[in-house]
Amino acid sequence: MPQSIETKPAGQRGQLDLRHVSKTYDVDGRTLQVLRDVNLMVEPGEFISIVGASGCGKSTLLRLIIGLDADYQGHILLDDRPISGTSLARGIVFQDPCLLPWLTLQDNVALALASVPLSEREKTDLVRTHIELVGLTGFERAYPHQLSGGMAQRAAIARGLVTRPEILLLDEPLGALDALTRMRLQDELLRIWETEKITMILVTHDVEEAIYLGDRIVVMQANPGRISRDINVELPPVRQRTDAAFIALRQEVLADMGALSQSDRGGPARLRRVS
Amino acid sequence: MSNTSVTLPGAIAGDRAGQPATAARRRRVALSSLIGLLLPLAILGAWEIASHLHWVSKVFLPTPERTVASFFDLLFNEGFYFDLIASLSIVGQAFFYGTALGLLLGAGAGMSKVIERVFGPTLDGIRHIPPIAWLPLVVLWAGVGPLGKVIVISKVVFFPVFLNTLQGIRNVPQKYVDLAKVLTLTRWQFTRRIIIPGALPSILVGIRYGASLAWALVVVAEGLSGMKGIGFLIFRAQALLMTDQLLVCMVVIGLIGFLIDYGMRRLEGRLLRWKQGFEGH
Ligand SMILES: Nc1ncnc2c1ncn2[C@@H]1O[C@H](COP(=O)(O)OP(=O)(O)O)[C@@H](O)[C@H]1O
Ligand SMILES: [Mg+2]
Repeated sequence: MPQSIETKPAGQRGQLDLRHVSKTYDVDGRTLQVLRDVNLMVEPGEFISIVGASGCGKSTLLRLIIGLDADYQGHILLDDRPISGTSLARGIVFQDPCLLPWLTLQDNVALALASVPLSEREKTDLVRTHIELVGLTGFERAYPHQLSGGMAQRAAIARGLVTRPEILLLDEPLGALDALTRMRLQDELLRIWETEKITMILVTHDVEEAIYLGDRIVVMQANPGRISRDINVELPPVRQRTDAAFIALRQEVLADMGALSQSDRGGPARLRRVS
Repeated sequence: MSNTSVTLPGAIAGDRAGQPATAARRRRVALSSLIGLLLPLAILGAWEIASHLHWVSKVFLPTPERTVASFFDLLFNEGFYFDLIASLSIVGQAFFYGTALGLLLGAGAGMSKVIERVFGPTLDGIRHIPPIAWLPLVVLWAGVGPLGKVIVISKVVFFPVFLNTLQGIRNVPQKYVDLAKVLTLTRWQFTRRIIIPGALPSILVGIRYGASLAWALVVVAEGLSGMKGIGFLIFRAQALLMTDQLLVCMVVIGLIGFLIDYGMRRLEGRLLRWKQGFEGH
């Protein structure tokens, strides 16, 4: 099913609305509630971070939004229309970059345009500019096994963006990278978000990353997966990880996740980790 | 037919086309392939000595020179060509039909559970009756000519291709299937860009294995029925105690088997350039 790429100005499109979304899995005849009554409104152009411990249903939630799983209760609306199946209006970057090993980097990115009715020339241009956007110019013909983890993840981001989706979902895209590469890519993500002006939802288990990138932080808890807090980040656009307000917010979020023991709360012991 | 030793190369993925070799690396590779020549040379030397010193009776072990002479004799005076061509043509046809059918049914069964269920039990039954056990019946129906052998050998090629195609398709990771959905690929795009390349390594292993089985089996099949082909020659040589001819046949069979496998590996290396596997220390 060929899709046309929306060219309407961003900032108007990309509003995501989750209403009473619940999800259960049947495991060996037992019913496992993975998500319970998730309500979330994401405004166009917003960057929100969903943070939660491993297993609290973050990936499941993204699978519902992207349209890979239609078996849920509740409503998911994009720009006021219920979603159905997958669509190029919604892009995703998986934790595993999921590049096809038999395609070169540029072919991997171009694959996202396979069902888009554009001329070959236009496609080539789009692929080139997006490879440039993620800083991989010069590696167009490299095969995935020749790329480092960080480069592969950049390529996956380029593939997620090349179709110009209204909303990009990022499922722990930096989770498997070393600390240094991760920090560099976080800055890249911010830059890309500012350039592309699309809605981004970043799922992460790293609270610092969530605060560093998000306008808003949605905290999830497990068993059953649910939203426990929704925090507006009132920090300057360029954030300092060592900022007192940053650290205070981090403590707050960690506490919401149930990650802190009583003695950990707000003590100077926490400060040692960040400095 | 006593010592019919048929060597079947295992169904393992072999050498990959590697990175461009540096000069040093190339020298090392050249050196290590020289090492591989040591043992054959030693065996040849032992053969020379054993035959010239009459450790073994001439009837059972002719000298290497006599064997080489016999090769040219076979080639120029006994129409060795025709036998070779007869064998190769059987293998070629059988390989073609077996591979084509294996790919077709394997792809069908891989993509559709229904097709798998329809054909699965029948094919399993056929598979578990070994090819040599099929030969008498097929020869009864199709005669001692090439047709019967083509049928039996097609069957031998069919199964590894069929099973590896089916497995290869089923083993395409779920995450790629999800990716195809996210990118809204059409069924055809999904097949061509994801399923076929994803299953290809496994398919090629099946084809390569099938090819070497086919060559091994044509020798046996010709030995058991008919009056033509290199398999016929080698068993006739044994019956007439023409050990020199027998040895020539063995070497030629080995050489062609090697060439078939080499060709397949080259093809594999070319088609799987993107793949990076463990190449050994
Ligand atoms: N296909 C599935 N079948 C059954 N249970 C599943 C399936 N996928 C995920 N789960 C369960 O759902 C819960 C949430 O998983 P997931 O969404 O992957 O969590 P997260 O991404 O937050 O780590 C886990 O307990 C997991 O075991
Ligand atoms: Mg997850």
